[in-house]
Amino acid sequence: MENKLKKIYKWIDNRVQLGDLVNFMSKKYVPVHSHSIWYYFGGVSLFFFIIQIVTGILLLFYYKGSADLAYESIRFIMSKVQFGWMIRSIHSWSANLFILSVFIHMFSVFFEKAYRKPREMTWITGVLMFVLSLAFGFSGYLLPWNELAYFATKVGTDIVGVVPFVGEPLKYFLRGGDDVTGATLSRFFGFHVALFPGIFTFFLIIHLLLVQRQGMSEPLHFKNLEKDQKKTMPFFPNFMLRDLLLWLVVLNILAILAVFFPAELGLKADPLASAPAGIQPEWYFLFMFQTLKFLPAHVLFIEGEVLGVLLFGLAGLLWLLVPVWDRKSARGQNNRLINYIGIFSVLFIIILTIIGWVLK
Amino acid sequence: MKLIPKFKLITSVLVLILVHYSYAAVDQCLKCHQELDDNPSKLFIEDVHYKAGLSCKSCHGGNSNIEDMELSMSKSEGFIGVPSLNSISEICSKCHSDIEYMEKYNSNINTGQLEKLKAGVHGKLSVNGRGMILQCITCHNAHGIKKVKDPESPVYPTKIPQTCNKCHGNASFMQTYDPGIAVDQLTKYRTSVHGVLNSKGNIKAAECSSCHGSHDIFPSADVRSKVYKLNIPNTCSQCHSDKEYMKDFPIPTDQFAKYQKSVHGKAVFEKQDLSAPVCNDCHGNHGATPPGIESISKVCGSCHALNAELFSASPHKKAFDENKYPECETCHGNHEILIAKDQLLGVGKGAICLKCHSENENQKGYFIAKEMKKLIDSLIISDSIAKNLIFQAEQKGMDVEEIKFKQREIHQARLEARTIVHSFDEVKFKDVTKKGFKASELVITDANAAIDEFHFRRYGLGIAVVIISFLIVIIFFYIKKIEKNHIS
Repeated sequence: MENKLKKIYKWIDNRVQLGDLVNFMSKKYVPVHSHSIWYYFGGVSLFFFIIQIVTGILLLFYYKGSADLAYESIRFIMSKVQFGWMIRSIHSWSANLFILSVFIHMFSVFFEKAYRKPREMTWITGVLMFVLSLAFGFSGYLLPWNELAYFATKVGTDIVGVVPFVGEPLKYFLRGGDDVTGATLSRFFGFHVALFPGIFTFFLIIHLLLVQRQGMSEPLHFKNLEKDQKKTMPFFPNFMLRDLLLWLVVLNILAILAVFFPAELGLKADPLASAPAGIQPEWYFLFMFQTLKFLPAHVLFIEGEVLGVLLFGLAGLLWLLVPVWDRKSARGQNNRLINYIGIFSVLFIIILTIIGWVLK
Repeated sequence: MKLIPKFKLITSVLVLILVHYSYAAVDQCLKCHQELDDNPSKLFIEDVHYKAGLSCKSCHGGNSNIEDMELSMSKSEGFIGVPSLNSISEICSKCHSDIEYMEKYNSNINTGQLEKLKAGVHGKLSVNGRGMILQCITCHNAHGIKKVKDPESPVYPTKIPQTCNKCHGNASFMQTYDPGIAVDQLTKYRTSVHGVLNSKGNIKAAECSSCHGSHDIFPSADVRSKVYKLNIPNTCSQCHSDKEYMKDFPIPTDQFAKYQKSVHGKAVFEKQDLSAPVCNDCHGNHGATPPGIESISKVCGSCHALNAELFSASPHKKAFDENKYPECETCHGNHEILIAKDQLLGVGKGAICLKCHSENENQKGYFIAKEMKKLIDSLIISDSIAKNLIFQAEQKGMDVEEIKFKQREIHQARLEARTIVHSFDEVKFKDVTKKGFKASELVITDANAAIDEFHFRRYGLGIAVVIISFLIVIIFFYIKKIEKNHIS
């Protein structure tokens, strides 16, 4: 058996020089320190993304992306297709956990200032993937074509419409018309299964290549340590095995969630019905939604909602460009401002999300 | 000295006034028109307003004290001539809308007639586009207006049907307003109990205004109308529930109270169900007549068509006819028709079959009823088992929409059984319940399968968690093993 495996390895090695890769990976080391735990969230996010791809493809076998058939096809998946309920429930739970994991990964990188030179591109591709993850969530939420999804999409696209100058055309483009209709569903389906995965994969490849090429970022205090004082572990197999262990833990959690709390379907969307009470976006949009609700109708000469959208846009841009304006961290100095911004952002997101949830 | 000319002046003026009024005490308008021997003047001396002291000028303006026709009928004296269109009703309402003025005549007449008229269907714009469809004089006449209680008045109860019919019986006239409206109401009315009594001079019998109102008449589709479907029971009960009012008529007065408790009454009053029957659906409206023994099944059958048809073909038809039992009413009652529960069937407590059938008398029916009840009871039990299993599956978070849909067939079979029972045919009844049993079997199987699927998922999860956890433990210990002395 072992001989056969060796033969197969040799056969492949002869053709693609696997030895170089193994050699590269075995010489790759991961820093070990008190914050090493955060390194794993990148891998966990990747695992969730892989699950999304696999379950998404399986759902595609039965899902029909039209207003007439979408809801019925999901009902069919949930009730008739063998393990269809499980696939959809895992897809739904994994989507939520993916975004949570991406949030944690992004904030851990932010607090560790791991975006500093030479990892600016890794950070930028990561933030872009985070935005795409939200877009994945938003577009996927509409696909079951149920009542909640329909009205949440209506509210969500309405918010897009308030962006000055480009808002209205963008809203029209997203909806495929003046209102949320079957045309919106078709294009959201297209975005969700073709456009976004394509772009995401492109950024992901760059992101992973950069991580492999540059290795894990060391914490700031590492530069003051002697070489023998720096604790590390081999990427392969130690770190990868730990990653695998965590992936299995996550898989267990996913399975339990999918069985005990299967994804619901609700009522089919009825454009002529009035919106049900307490329409809210998904939890990851809740802090923005709640902020917009809290803003007064007018702040000086500008509409509250417009101001809110513009501020979030500006904050997002600053967030994306943090490696550019945080010169202190790039010089290897401790930048407390970054910590304060990070703490404020985390508290802001958590508090506003809780308020939004409570005021439902 | 100065007082004398002033006194003279005042005296002269007073004398002149006295002479003027003693001369004018005669109504100059009426005097002239009587000399002309015209119709208005002939009618007016019989008019309630004339008797109350009003004169021509009250409506036409002018000065009835001046003998000179030119002067008395001049614009300077306020003469308006013959009023037309809405100004007619407005002139009437000048006094009839004035509470204080009407009190002078000890009148208890309502003072809001014009407002009501304007709000109602007759207050709409007529086809000429210049005024309301009706003016006061259309119904009350112009110069010979009588009190409503005067038998000569066109709005006296016995005269009202004819008065309304002047327009409502005129097909070409009515067509200009509502081509769909019937114009044979009076003919039908004359065939009704109300109409017959009315034609005999009975003023208590309902006439047009009793049901439709007088000044504030609305189309029957208008919720404000007294004859709007949901308002009809209350409208009829105004007379039919009034013991004092109905004391001259040999009919009960508890119909409304009974109807309120009935399945039909509850549908009307509690659910505002417009498809439920109200008084006129069974008794007719303009041709209102209580349905007789022979016609009652036709009345009920107009809605419950299948039941009536099955009953007519059943052996009970002949027996009921021979014994002169009113068909539907014998088992279900009339005004107080309760929901036909399954207890009505069979030979147990509350079963109507026992009225005629017993173990000793008409035994065949007794045993058929017993068997039918047994079948329906079994179907109810199957239905409740199915419901319970669906509930259990649903509580476990399983998708039971499709099973619920199938479950409707059991309910449908129960409904069909309630209909087919009117055939009193055991074989037909069994066929229907068989469908229900078949459906309940399917539902029970599917619901059990859903519950099994739930348990399968839980067991499956348990196994998967154990396997994954086992792998986790293996990897954990492997990591421990390889990391011994490896972390530099």
